[in-house]
Amino acid sequence: MKFKLSGKSIQAVVLGTLGILSFFIIWQLTCIFTKFGTIFPTPPEVAAGMIRGFIEPIGSVTLLGHIGISLGRVLVGYTLSSVLGTLVGLLMGASRLGKAILYPIFNIIKPIPGIAWIPIAIMWLGIGNATIYFIIFVGGFSQMVMNVMSGASNVDQELVGVARVLGLKKNHVFLTIILPSCVPYIFTGLQVSLSTSWMAVLAAEMITATSGCGWLILAGMQSGIMLNNVLGMIAIGFIGLVLATLMRMLERRLCSWKERN
Amino acid sequence: MTKKEKRERKKYLLISVISFAAFILIWECVTEIFGLIPPKKLPSPRTIVNVFLYKLSNTNPDGSVLTAHILTSLKESVLGFIIGVGLGVPLGICMAWFEKFDLFFKPLFDLIKPIPPVGWVPIMLMLFGLSIWSKVTVIAIASIVPAIINSYSGIKQMNPVHKWVAQTFGASDRQILFTVAIPTAGPMIFAGIEVALNASWVTLVAAELVAATQGLGYMIQTSRMVGRIDIVFMGVLVIGAFGALFTWLLGMLRRKLVKGGR
Repeated sequence: MKFKLSGKSIQAVVLGTLGILSFFIIWQLTCIFTKFGTIFPTPPEVAAGMIRGFIEPIGSVTLLGHIGISLGRVLVGYTLSSVLGTLVGLLMGASRLGKAILYPIFNIIKPIPGIAWIPIAIMWLGIGNATIYFIIFVGGFSQMVMNVMSGASNVDQELVGVARVLGLKKNHVFLTIILPSCVPYIFTGLQVSLSTSWMAVLAAEMITATSGCGWLILAGMQSGIMLNNVLGMIAIGFIGLVLATLMRMLERRLCSWKERN
Repeated sequence: MTKKEKRERKKYLLISVISFAAFILIWECVTEIFGLIPPKKLPSPRTIVNVFLYKLSNTNPDGSVLTAHILTSLKESVLGFIIGVGLGVPLGICMAWFEKFDLFFKPLFDLIKPIPPVGWVPIMLMLFGLSIWSKVTVIAIASIVPAIINSYSGIKQMNPVHKWVAQTFGASDRQILFTVAIPTAGPMIFAGIEVALNASWVTLVAAELVAATQGLGYMIQTSRMVGRIDIVFMGVLVIGAFGALFTWLLGMLRRKLVKGGR
């Protein structure tokens, strides 16, 4: 039995490596045999460029510097959208009056993609970090609100009823029942809005910045150095993966009593 | 109780209407009537409506009327969405059904998945230039990812008991796939399609902001450059309206087509 299992895992490793290898081989062959290769780097060139990127600066800072800059921007916008989104979501989910007042206005904003705010943000705040923070903020905000709201309005009404019958005050009900039962939803919101924020920073940097991973991608194209473009994509993909994994680990730690999906 | 509930509902509906009207009124007041915020920063609701009507028949400042922009955007996003979903759903089903296929593709897919679709714009631009295909391919990438993920986990979710029953009664593998597994995965697959449509609209806007010659994203970007914030606002609202329309249409379709809960 044990032998059979390890045989299976060997098969998995072999096939998986084959899959990734064939991707790189196709990439390499396309570069060699078509005119694609005249502008686009081959996989070994990208690997070499990546090592160089950690040592020599691309533009103003090294590759790690660009990653750091993008992360810092996401952190600011993401914190803002998480805090405000949770507050507005709780307000709309827990209070019927709050929902009646805010929901129609929120409904105008909700379907607008965060990225579509870029031109407005530039006209309001100019080109710079404030615009990027704003884009990340709007990108995550409505998702946060939607998730928290559905959490707060899906509270087990029997629990609320029991607590009220036993004489708990309304604000106590909110703190001891509604808020805790929202936590898994808040985490779902945090996860979704983190990946949206990461996409928003990329788009915002492509349009208004002079540093960061998004800038790398676009500047690579504009200056004809596709290598920088590929490096930017790898960096963005890798960091996005790390962020998502960290978030999932955190959720498992904090919401162990209720794992959703 | 029901009567009271009805009255309550009416009351809250009224509050919603008042709140919405107040929002528009305050907006109009601070911009047009009292001039607290200059029109260069925030156009009044009336200006936005006017510019919407104006843009329907006027090509200033970006070279096309509004309907032409809308049509281009719709064409690009729907085409990309159909390609993405058309490839993604069968691929996801195959990955979940054939183990070797899964082992081969999963690591590669995991490698490509976390790259935000917008990041592909420069490469596609290099390959396809400013034609619609640079946008269509990016949108296809944006919608293929959720399509694969959801159809994969939808099939994997199948209750093994159902499979065993089918096997006991002599169903072939193929019959199990088409009559048990895929219908089970239906709601999940549909949810993936909804996510994909949403992603394709968001990505479209991003792609058009970076590189286009027509389309809603291009319209708001050009209008920003010439300082027409009224057109920018109108464009953003139109983009939002179409996003909402898509969500609503798919929701209706789901209620019609998909049986069973999520």
